[in-house]
Amino acid sequence: MAVCTRVRLVLIAVALLVFAAAAAPVAAQQPSSVDPNAAAVQEQQLLEQLNRIQGLGTIPDTKSYVIEQPMGRVWRGFHEVWLPWIGGIAVLGMLAVLIIFYLWRGMVRIESGRSGINIVRFSAFERFVHWMTATCFIILALSGLNITFGKHVLLPLIGPSAFSSWSLAAKYAHSLLSFAFTLGVVLIFLMWLSGNILNRVDIQWLKRGGGMVGHDHPPAYRFNAGQKMIYWIVVLGGAAVAVTGYLLMFPFYGTNIADMQIAQGVHGVVAVLFIAVMLAHIYIGTIGMEGAFEAMGEGTVDLNWAKEHHSLWVEQEQARTGAATMQGQRSAMPAE
Amino acid sequence: MRAFLLACLAILVIGVGGYFFLGSMQESSGAAFATDGARINPDWAWRSVSTQAGAGETPQGECDTRKAWQWIFVDFARPEGESALCSISQ
Repeated sequence: MAVCTRVRLVLIAVALLVFAAAAAPVAAQQPSSVDPNAAAVQEQQLLEQLNRIQGLGTIPDTKSYVIEQPMGRVWRGFHEVWLPWIGGIAVLGMLAVLIIFYLWRGMVRIESGRSGINIVRFSAFERFVHWMTATCFIILALSGLNITFGKHVLLPLIGPSAFSSWSLAAKYAHSLLSFAFTLGVVLIFLMWLSGNILNRVDIQWLKRGGGMVGHDHPPAYRFNAGQKMIYWIVVLGGAAVAVTGYLLMFPFYGTNIADMQIAQGVHGVVAVLFIAVMLAHIYIGTIGMEGAFEAMGEGTVDLNWAKEHHSLWVEQEQARTGAATMQGQRSAMPAE
Repeated sequence: MRAFLLACLAILVIGVGGYFFLGSMQESSGAAFATDGARINPDWAWRSVSTQAGAGETPQGECDTRKAWQWIFVDFARPEGESALCSISQ
C-alpha cells in the first residue's frame, strides 16, 4: 500500500513538472504589458512598446499601412531646430573666425617679392575639374542652405511668390547639378590621390602651424598638410553628401522612411560642415594668401611663392625639368 | 578663364543629361504611390462591417449585384428584402 502511495506521489510530481514546463513558453509569449488588440489600449502605451503603429491594407503600397511613426517627430525636430542651429553656428562661426583672422593677420604676402618667373602648378584639365566641382558646390550649397534657412531669412525679405519661384528653381538646380559635382569629386579623388597621402613632412608642417602665424615657411611637397585635409574632406564629405543625396533623390529604392530620415540627417550635417570648411578654403585661396588664386586661375604660380609654400615640390620640379626650363618661363607662361 | 568656361559648359551638358535621366527614372508621387496599383478586395466591403450577418452562413435567395456608384460612394444600405448575408460576399 505504501509503495502504491509513493508511486502515486511520484506520478503526480512528474505530471506537475510536465505541466509547468509546458506552460512556461506559453507565458513567455504573452506581451509584457500591452495587448495591441485590446479595445482599451492607449496610443501612448503602444508607442512606448512599438516603434510604429501599423495597420492592414489592401493597397499594394505597403508604406501606406503605417499610421504613426514617432521617429518622424524626432526627424522633424532635427531639421527644424537642430540642423539650423548646427548650420548657423558652423557657417557663421567660420565666417567670424575668418574675418577676425584676416583683421589680425592680413593677407599672407610673398615675403621675398615676386620673382617674375612662373612655374606650372595645375594643368588645364586639373583646373577644369576643380572649377566644375567648385561651381557646382557653390550652387548646391546656396540651394541647400535655402532649404534649411530660406523660409527664415529669404521669405520675409522677398515674399512668398518670389520665394516659391526661387525655391523651385533652386530645387531643380540642386538635383541636376549633383551629377556634375559627383563626377568632379570622383575625378578629384583619382587625379590628386598620389599627392595627398600623409607623410612625415606633414607632421612638421602641422607642428609649425603651416606658417600661418608669424613668418615661418615649413617645407611641403606639392600639397601641404592643410591642402591634404581639404582634399580628404572633399573626397569623404563629397562621397557622403552624394550617396545620401541620391538616396533622397530616388526614394524607396532600397530604403524606407526611417532610412531616408537618417540619410537626410547625415546629408544636412555633413553639408553644413562641408560649407564651413570650404569657406576657409576659399578664403586662403583668394584674399588670404597673395599669389594663391593664380594657381587655379591661370595654372601658374610665381617661383618665390612656390619656394616659400612648397619648397620640396619646387626641388622636385627643378630636378625633373631643370632650372633652365623655369627661367625660360619668365614671360607669362601659357596656362592652357 | 578658359578652364572655368569649359567647366560651366560641362555642367550645363551634364545637367541637361541629368534632366532626361531623372525624367526617365522618376515618377510623380501621384503615379508612383497612388491609384495606379490600387485594387478593391472583392472579399471585403464596408457593407459587411456595417451589417451583422452571421459568418459562415450562405444567403437565402438572390442577392442584388452592386452597381458601380454603390461601390464608389461606399453604400452602406441594404436593398429592401435582401438577406443581410448578401453583404458578406460583396
